[in-house]
Amino acid sequence: MASKPGSAPTTYTPTPTRKSRPPIFKDSDVDWVRPDGRGFHQCRPAFFRTGAVNAAAGSAYAEFGNTKVIVSVFGPRESKKAMMYSDVGRLNCNVSYTTFATPVRGQGSDHKEFSSMLHKALEGAIMLETFPKTTVDVFALVLESGGSDIPVVISCASLALADAGIMMYDLVAGVSVSCLGTNLVIDPILEEESCQDGNLMMTCMPSRYEVTQLTVTGEWSSAKMNEAMQLCLDACSKLATIMRSCLKEAASATQD
Amino acid sequence: MGLPNVSGDLSAEMEVDAFRRLFPLRFYERHLADSIRPDARPLGRARDTTMALGAVASADGSALTKIGSTTMLAAIKMEVMTPSTDSPDEGCIAIDFHMPPICSPIVRPGRPAEAAPVVSKQLSDTILSSGMIDLKELSLVSGKAAWMAYLDIYCLDADGALFDCALLSAVAAFSNLQIPVVSLNDDGKIVVVSEEGEEGKLEKEPVNKEKRKLTLRSLPFSLTCILHKNYILADPTAEEESIMETLVTVVLDSSSRLVSFYKPGGPVLAYTSAVQDCVALTRQRVKELQKILDEAVSGMEID
Repeated sequence: MASKPGSAPTTYTPTPTRKSRPPIFKDSDVDWVRPDGRGFHQCRPAFFRTGAVNAAAGSAYAEFGNTKVIVSVFGPRESKKAMMYSDVGRLNCNVSYTTFATPVRGQGSDHKEFSSMLHKALEGAIMLETFPKTTVDVFALVLESGGSDIPVVISCASLALADAGIMMYDLVAGVSVSCLGTNLVIDPILEEESCQDGNLMMTCMPSRYEVTQLTVTGEWSSAKMNEAMQLCLDACSKLATIMRSCLKEAASATQD
Repeated sequence: MGLPNVSGDLSAEMEVDAFRRLFPLRFYERHLADSIRPDARPLGRARDTTMALGAVASADGSALTKIGSTTMLAAIKMEVMTPSTDSPDEGCIAIDFHMPPICSPIVRPGRPAEAAPVVSKQLSDTILSSGMIDLKELSLVSGKAAWMAYLDIYCLDADGALFDCALLSAVAAFSNLQIPVVSLNDDGKIVVVSEEGEEGKLEKEPVNKEKRKLTLRSLPFSLTCILHKNYILADPTAEEESIMETLVTVVLDSSSRLVSFYKPGGPVLAYTSAVQDCVALTRQRVKELQKILDEAVSGMEID
C-alpha cells in the first residue's frame, strides 16, 4: 500500500481557492442554464454496451455524461452453503465505488444502501422461479460518479441480466429528478444533486407500465410530485427504447 | 497411469468441448505438440494489447489497458501531505491493486481475491525500485508539503497475466498524469489555482508552475510466461494459468535492464536456459509495449 511502511501520512485534496462558489442558479432568475447546457427536461445522452466483461455470464457498461458504470452478472450458480432451501431463485446484489469515482478520493468500499436499492428495484422484474435453488449475482462497480448514479446502475444491471439470459418480465429503466427551488431538473449531475431541495427516483418496466421502485426525499408539493413522476415515466420509456436497441445490436452482431 | 490412456482412447469419439473440460492438460499438450495454442496463438506470442489514456475525468491521470480480455483501469489522484522529517524533499506514491467482484466469478463481495494483495505488492516493489519516478519531483514546499500520488488499479476483467496488464496500465497512467497547479495560502495549506483566466486576481504565486508533468525515466514493462515441460507459453490466459501452474514474470526497463524477476514456486523447476528464453521473449515484448504506449501518448497530444 503506502510506499513507506509504518508511516501513513494524513493527506488532503487541494481545494479551489475560490471561497464561495457562485450558486448555479438564482431564485429570481428564470432563465438560468444547467452547468452542462441541457434543458431542464432533457436527459444526458445515454450510452450502453453489453458484453463488457468476458469472465461474467452477462455484463453491461453504461455511460451517462461523466457517470460510468460496469455491471457483471454471474450465475445462476450454487447458493451459499448456509442458505436455506428455496423453491425460487435468489438475487444477490452489490454496488461498490472505485476510490477515484468521486471528486475527493474515497475508500472504494461497498455501498450498502445502493446494494439494497438495486436488489429491490430488480427483484420484481426477474422471474425468480426459473432458477430454483440457485443464486444470480449482480455486481456493479461505479467507475466514475457524475450524478444520478443509482438509476444508471439499475438500468445497466437490467441490461446485464438480459445479456446473461436471465428471464425477466421487462427491462428495468431508472431515472431521477431533482427539485431545485421551483424548477424540476431531470437526470441531475453531481453539482445539481449537491444543492437540490428534493429528489425523486423511479425505476419502472415501461412496456408493462409498472413501477418497481419509487424513492422520494426532501420537500415536495403534491403537484410537483405528480409532474416529476410523469417526467420520470416518459424518460424511462425512452431510455428503455435505447436499452432495447443496444440488445438488438448485440444480438444481430453475433448472428453475422 | 491409467487415466491418460483412457482419455487417449476417448479423444477420437468425444466432442472437443467435452474433452477440453474433462482432460484439460491432455487437451493443451496436444496443441503444444503442434506449437499452437487453442486461441490460435504461437507459443511465444502475446495477445492483442490496446490502451486508452485519460479514461477517468475525476482523476489527475488515468489509463485503460486491455491484453486480450484482461482489462485494467488505473487512475492517479494527487493529494497533499506533510513530508516526513527523514526526507523533507520527497513525495510519496501509494499503489493499490483491486479485484472487485465484477472481474471474475471467483471473487465475491467481502471475500477479496487472494491474488490481489500479491499483485499489489509486486506492483509497488517494481514501480518504486525501477527508478521510473524521482520522488523529489513530487515535492512542493520543502519540509512543508509534498504530493502523495494515490495510484489505484482496478481489474475489470480477469483473464490471466494480471500483473502484466496492471503494470502497463500503471505506467500509462503516470504518462497521462497532469499535476494540478497549486499555491500555498496564508494558513499553510495547499490550494488549487483555478484555471479560468483570472490571472489578475491571483493572491499567491503558484508553487509548481513548471512541474506539471513527471519526468519518467526507464519505464518498466513485463511479460509473464508459463513453463510446462519444455514449453514456454507467453502471456497466459486464465484457463492456461489454472491448468499449468509454473509462472515466471520478467520485468525489464526500456533499455532492457532487469528490474524484477518472479518465479513463485510451481511444479516445474526452471533451467537457466528457460529463464534466458523468458528474458528474450520479454525483451521483444518490451519493444511492442513501448510502441503501443508511444502511440497512445502521441495520440493524446494531437487531440
